[in-house]
Amino acid sequence: MNRLAQAVWERRPQTVTRIVDAHAHAGPYSVFFIPDPDAAGMLRVMDRCGVAHAVLSSHLAIQLDAAAGNAATAAIVGQAPDRFSGYLTVNPWQDPDGELARWGDDPRFVGIKLHPDLHDYPLTGARYAPVWEFAAASRFPVLTHTYSGSPYNDLRHVDEVAARHPGVTLLAGHSGVTPLGIDQSIEVAKRHERVILEVCGSYNSGADIVRMVREVGADRVVYGSDFPFIDLRMSLGRILFSQLTDEERAAVLGGTVTGLLGGRGA
Amino acid sequence: MSEDLPVLIDADAMLGRHPRRDVGGGTAAELLAAMDRVGISGALVANMTAWLHDPARGNRELLGLVAGEPRLSACWVLLPDTCGEIGAGFAEAAVAAGVRAVRAFPADHGYDLAGPDVAPVLDALSSVRLPLLVDAGQAGWPVTEAVARAHPRLRVVVGGAGYRMLRQIAGVLDRAPNVYVGLADLSSHRGLEWLVERFGAGRFLFGTGTPYRDPAEAVTRLLWSELDDAQVAAIGGGNLRRLIGQEVRAA
Repeated sequence: MNRLAQAVWERRPQTVTRIVDAHAHAGPYSVFFIPDPDAAGMLRVMDRCGVAHAVLSSHLAIQLDAAAGNAATAAIVGQAPDRFSGYLTVNPWQDPDGELARWGDDPRFVGIKLHPDLHDYPLTGARYAPVWEFAAASRFPVLTHTYSGSPYNDLRHVDEVAARHPGVTLLAGHSGVTPLGIDQSIEVAKRHERVILEVCGSYNSGADIVRMVREVGADRVVYGSDFPFIDLRMSLGRILFSQLTDEERAAVLGGTVTGLLGGRGA
Repeated sequence: MSEDLPVLIDADAMLGRHPRRDVGGGTAAELLAAMDRVGISGALVANMTAWLHDPARGNRELLGLVAGEPRLSACWVLLPDTCGEIGAGFAEAAVAAGVRAVRAFPADHGYDLAGPDVAPVLDALSSVRLPLLVDAGQAGWPVTEAVARAHPRLRVVVGGAGYRMLRQIAGVLDRAPNVYVGLADLSSHRGLEWLVERFGAGRFLFGTGTPYRDPAEAVTRLLWSELDDAQVAAIGGGNLRRLIGQEVRAA
């Protein structure tokens, strides 16, 4: 058993490597009850496990109101800038240019978050044009929700956007979610060197993550949890007990995303 | 593992291949290797054949699959006996065969778990003290509660709860003392801690959902929880032993 898995079994926080969660949220979500969804509850779980940092977008931003939600994200990051960084959420129906102008230079934000499924708008749609322009100029990575078969954020949409904007770093959130989606996300990542596979989701496994790393490299695969939408430990455990090498595991858990952020935030 | 570490017994595992994802060959040897990778000592296992093809054949074959595997205990799959598929003495036959629990797949097998067709089977399970395991997606929480109320001596363990159901789970646990929740995909943020604080550790059982799910999820979720060691030991295996009234074999 590797040293990280040993820490789990010894019921103590890991201190082996710097873990950065590349896919987090914060706050309540109307569809279901989340205990302790705010920063204090998130830090409690991070400290329990030894997770150093999380890059988040507030649930308010993705679910209802990008302007109020981005302000909420900024406030959370401002409370604990050593533990959190922010994704600037762009809702295509809620003034993308205005949100990018308002927060684009704010050091609390280190990337862009898109959720086409929640906004009933395709990743390939024209309303996202300011995002691609901003991301290419700023080098901010763009984390998009993906789900295989979705009319808005299927892997074919990621494929198309990546081809159109080869200079943009695109994190495929959940890597398509389903077993089929994971296969498709690997194929898209093999075609586009700036497509990065983010691994949280209800159907991923350690074996799938090992396959991702073997196919595209540990420098193209990043740990995310989706917490507090889903508990942070679900996705983390898959990586800790997987058959990655120690070097690959350290890259997936934090090294790769830290490099992608280019010294910002995490 | 050190003697001080908790013993984990998986109450939610299966043998066999899966038609909609690559889980390998589904052999006992593969399951044991997966258990060793994450430190699980023993498992209560059902057969994919009983779930996804032919319950009677799957149950029958399961006994051979776990024979000679001291870390694995058998869990059969029930049906209503309206068509004579499982026989009137199903519960007694299960006990005689050394089966420790029974699973139901009402959605996939086309019957109502709270209806009159399967009620005699559930009554018989109550009589022989075999717990019933059912995934949340197979029955739903209102049906689970109706079954638990109609069969108050039946212990009902709900697996695959996901992360969207705390509003319903909390209501059912509050009203139905014979309902228990498994850890496979019990994935609400701090949900395990929140539930244990309200209902006690005795209502929860370690389970992984392997091989469809990665057992590392539930292992990490339980061991890296904020629960104390006694609560982890109870959920990890003690509660299952209590429910089945006998020792589950472990390495």
